[in-house]
Amino acid sequence: MPPEPMSEAELDADAVDRMLLQRMSAGDRAALAVMYRGYHGRLVRFLSRLTRRTDVVEEAINDCFWIAWQKAATFQGDSRVSTWIMGIAYRCGLKALRQHGSEPVDEDSVPEDRTPSHDPGEDREMRDWLGKGLDRLSADQRVVIELVYGIGHTLDDVATIMQCPVGTVKARLFHARVKLRNVLPGLAGERTINREIVP
Amino acid sequence: MTFQKDIGRDCPRAWEAMPWVLQGDASPVQGAWLNMHLAECQACREEFAQQERLRAALALSPELDIDAEAGLARLLSRIDEADPQQAAPSRRAASSHWMTRALVAAVLVQAVGIGVLGIKLGGDGAGHAAAPVYRTLSQEAAPAAPGSLHVVPVATLKVAEWNTLLRQYHLRVVGGPNDVGAYTLVSTDGNAPTPQTLQGLRADPGIRFAEPVTDTP
Repeated sequence: MPPEPMSEAELDADAVDRMLLQRMSAGDRAALAVMYRGYHGRLVRFLSRLTRRTDVVEEAINDCFWIAWQKAATFQGDSRVSTWIMGIAYRCGLKALRQHGSEPVDEDSVPEDRTPSHDPGEDREMRDWLGKGLDRLSADQRVVIELVYGIGHTLDDVATIMQCPVGTVKARLFHARVKLRNVLPGLAGERTINREIVP
Repeated sequence: MTFQKDIGRDCPRAWEAMPWVLQGDASPVQGAWLNMHLAECQACREEFAQQERLRAALALSPELDIDAEAGLARLLSRIDEADPQQAAPSRRAASSHWMTRALVAAVLVQAVGIGVLGIKLGGDGAGHAAAPVYRTLSQEAAPAAPGSLHVVPVATLKVAEWNTLLRQYHLRVVGGPNDVGAYTLVSTDGNAPTPQTLQGLRADPGIRFAEPVTDTP
């Protein structure tokens, strides 16, 4: 499916990001701080699909902005700034995982205050439901799911972020969806899916 | 009833369209087509419902609670440590040139003034040996002007880095900063700073200007 042109809101957000990046290239730390705060939540969620280790996520985020600060002047504008940032974060996340090991933290080692303070029963149930499904996916599949359903990137964006062909992204997305469908209890009971529907 | 039995010709197309319709990135035509398909296909309807739930679950706040401000502070420290001169490369490049010239000129004028004053006081002292000499407490504590240095650190130099430099070259501050930000330094051992000290200070990126007071005309 060909991607739709960017919406007005997306264009506005990208224009702001480009302005911030331009100021960063001139050494403006205030612009860096705005960019950092603006992307922090998104990056925490994105990188937490790669690992649940807080230290690794923190390191990857700071490595990402360290690179963005240094490379701001080299941004070519071929993609949205957000796509560029997410791509850097993805590679920093993989690098941090290689350096620290990809073993997830033990549930019991996650401090109480690390969990969201407001987590009503319905949210908790949904988190558990999602966690069960994502645990069955590969890291790359989790990343694709987050980028498409969580953040709302197009296939082309995801291909740019993960530096792979669009076909690879499509395959990862498809297999992730099949696994999720087979693993997660659906709204109308569990089913299996036929491979014939591969696009 | 299994999903397999429900698969129709349009189901793969519907399956592929679902994420983009959910995102709001699909065209109105594609959205309308999917709605029509969902109305007549229970399997795709169930799949779409699960996709909506997946999207809602992914939209929940992350379980990891990481402090953005603490992370930002660490990043800024890292930038500082890596190279304080790179803090604002372009602006610095643009502004430091005229600023350095202005500071150098101001300090030179001041040094000339101090030199002239010193000669005048020396001459007066010879002719008025018996006259009481007025001294401030600061003059009492500081060594004589000969051998002292005028040094202007860069604005971004941290106190800890400044102190390290002083220790490294065995210097201490006896005056300043004056109106142009110049400090007067003397050796902690009472001797005149060596040419190596002066050379080292001038080569240090944290020092904008370093000149011996007595060498200034």
